[in-house]
Parts: sequence; structure tokens; C-alpha cells
Amino acid sequence: MIRISTTFSSLILIGLLAASVPHSSQTILPRSQTPPHPQPDNSSGHHLQSLQARYKLLSARLSRLKPNQPYILVDTARNHLYVKRQDVIVLDALASTGSGTILDKPGEANDQWIFDTPRGEFRVQSKLTNPAWVKPDWAFIEEGLQVPQNPADRVEQGVLGDYALGFGKGYFIHGTLYTRLLGKNVTHGCIRLNDGDLKSVYQLARIGTPIVIF
Amino acid sequence: MSLFTIAILLLLNTASHAAENTAFPDLNLKDPGSLQEATRVLEEEINLAARPQTYLLIDLVAHTIHIKGRGVDLHRIPIIAWSLKIPEAIKGTHRLITRPPIQRRKIDPTSSLEQQPISLADMPMDYTLSFTPALTIDVSPALEDHPFQWIVARGTSWWRQFNAWLASLFTDQSPPSSPALTLEISSEQAQSLAWSVVDGMPLIIRRPATTHK
Repeated sequence: MIRISTTFSSLILIGLLAASVPHSSQTILPRSQTPPHPQPDNSSGHHLQSLQARYKLLSARLSRLKPNQPYILVDTARNHLYVKRQDVIVLDALASTGSGTILDKPGEANDQWIFDTPRGEFRVQSKLTNPAWVKPDWAFIEEGLQVPQNPADRVEQGVLGDYALGFGKGYFIHGTLYTRLLGKNVTHGCIRLNDGDLKSVYQLARIGTPIVIF
Repeated sequence: MSLFTIAILLLLNTASHAAENTAFPDLNLKDPGSLQEATRVLEEEINLAARPQTYLLIDLVAHTIHIKGRGVDLHRIPIIAWSLKIPEAIKGTHRLITRPPIQRRKIDPTSSLEQQPISLADMPMDYTLSFTPALTIDVSPALEDHPFQWIVARGTSWWRQFNAWLASLFTDQSPPSSPALTLEISSEQAQSLAWSVVDGMPLIIRRPATTHK
């Protein structure tokens, strides 16, 4: 009885395995099954024309949604920042983006900072020259230091480069002293560039320029 | 700038717009089934591209995964092979429930050692993405790249199907009716996809006309 049951189970399993083996899509979906042309009667001809017109209309509508102005594109996986105008790359810069590490918030049991660069679409909200870094709490805590009471003790000059472009919630595109780390995920969420690339981005971007991060 | 330069720029601009006006360059404009599918996908994509977000378009006809925003291709991932179960159940836009888990490292303020950041190499090569409305996508590297991981991924998928089928036998429930897509992509691209997807990310799938008639 056990042997029959085992054999039966094995047969079922083999059947499932055979059914699930991935083939190339051409094996599974022979393109030859698609009728190459619709039937040449008037009604189907009219139907085809209306489908073609609809397709062209929708294609044009989608095309109009693409940004007309230059936009900033950030690839956090490969640590590159691009400035693009339509499909043309105007600038390709090596960057540093979020490290993905976490830091516990002291005194809050289940709360943490996660140092990711945010993903999605943003806009340049501010353009600063000679920016000063107002260090947030985590900058002190991760170094094992006390968070200062005096706001002036948070200000640090000369670490963000000559320019900074803010895109909301305290995130900036800025310069760095650690140019050897460009191309790596090392930041607390901001996007770092070298001095030359930062200057180009600053000159190309305006307030409202889209920033797409993925 | 000379008039000649302006004329050349205008010409190039017009040419690039003309090329962009075809959303799917591989589309057979004489096949009503393919046209219907393309217009369905375009209608969905226009809704997604109108909002400030990134989204996924899996084009099974062109064997490509597109990461897009505002209708623009941000990144393309070639598909080596795919199979799709219950393709007729794919309708509209699906949303990713959760991205693949990441082993994040914790910063220890008392330690002088620098914490290693996460990178693409930390991302999984084989994983399952679950979407709502119900859709699962099993991603695995190509058999030639990583045979062991390919076998593990297949085995997990088969085991899940077997259990679902077994449960339907004993509980009078009908077998699962939600679509399931299996994708084989290079190991590096599988890691790249795991990195790029975010919770709630919208997804649309373009199917070959023969799969959903």
C-alpha cells in the first residue's frame, strides 16, 4: 500500500515538474499561432483601423507625458547621476548614494534611522552656494557623541562642497571630501558628487527640475 | 548660434519625437489581438506616467523589463526566458506588496570598525515578488549562470504549486486561479531588479496576443 501511494505521489510530482519546466517563450508561445492578418471583410477592417488610430493616439499621449525640460536621473544601484534632456545624456557623473545601514534611535525601543536614498520622483526645491551642514542628531549618535543643546554647535562648514541642491526632507545633492568613495553606497541618504560634476549639475538644474531616483 | 545649427537641432528634435511616437516598435499593426493588448497596456501606463512615481513594465513580447517614470525608460533588463500561468487573469495594474528582504547592517556607535554598506552584491538572485491583485513573479538567474540556484528556485516554485494542488484536492477548493509569472534573467540583473523595486510599486504586463485569447 505504501509502495502504491509512493508511486502515485511520484507520478504526480513528475507530472507537475514536467508542466512547470520553464521553456523559452518561443517554445511555449509559438508566434505562428497569431493570425498574420485579420479577415479582409469590411467590419474587421474598420475595427483594425480604429484600433490602429487608438494605439497612435495613446502613444502620442504617453509621449507628451515625458519631461521636455532637462531632468536629473539617479541610479542608486550603480551610483551614477545623469542629467538628461529627453533621451540625450548631458552629464554622466559617478556618485555616492545611501548606504542602507541602520542606526537605533536612543531611548526609542523600536525606532531606527534607515540610511537609504529615497526612491521616486522629486523636484529641486533649493539651490545653495557654499552650504553649511547643520548636523542632525544621527551624525552625533553614530559617533557615540552627545547631541548638542546649542544649535550653533551643529553647524559645520566646508564639508558639502561649493553647492547643494535640496530635494526635500533634508536630502541634498552636494559635494564631498571623500571622493575616493564615489561609486559606492556610503551616504546617509544624500547624493554626493565631485566638485566638477556638482558645478555642472548646479548650472544645469533650476528650481523645479525633476529628480528621478531608482 | 547660426541658422544652420538651429535648423539641424530642430530636425533632430523632430526626428526623435517621431521615433518616440511609437510606444512599442515591435508591434504588428495588422494584428488586432496585439493592438488590443498594446492599447490596454498604454491606457494603464498613461495613468501611471501622469503621477510622480516609478513603475515596472514587463514586456513579454520584447523580452524586457522596463523600470520607468513619466513614460521614460530609466533602466532595461533583458529577459532570458519566461513562462506565464493563467495569463487571462492579468488585468490592469498590480502593486508590489513587499520588496525582497535585505540584510541591513546595524551601526554600532561604540565600535571603531566602519560598518560595511549594502550593495548590489547583497541582493538576492532568486526570489518571489507578490503583488495585489494576486500575481506572483518568480525571479531566478539563468540555468547556465547559477545551476544550483536555478534548481532551488524551480524546486520552491514546484513545491508551492504541488501544495496548492494538494490542498485543493482535500478541501474542495478550486485550484488557484491567480496568474504566476516565471522570469529567468542574468544574476546581476536579478540583483538589480531586487534593488530597484519598492513596496507598493505599480506593475503592468504586456502579453503576447496568443496567450490571452
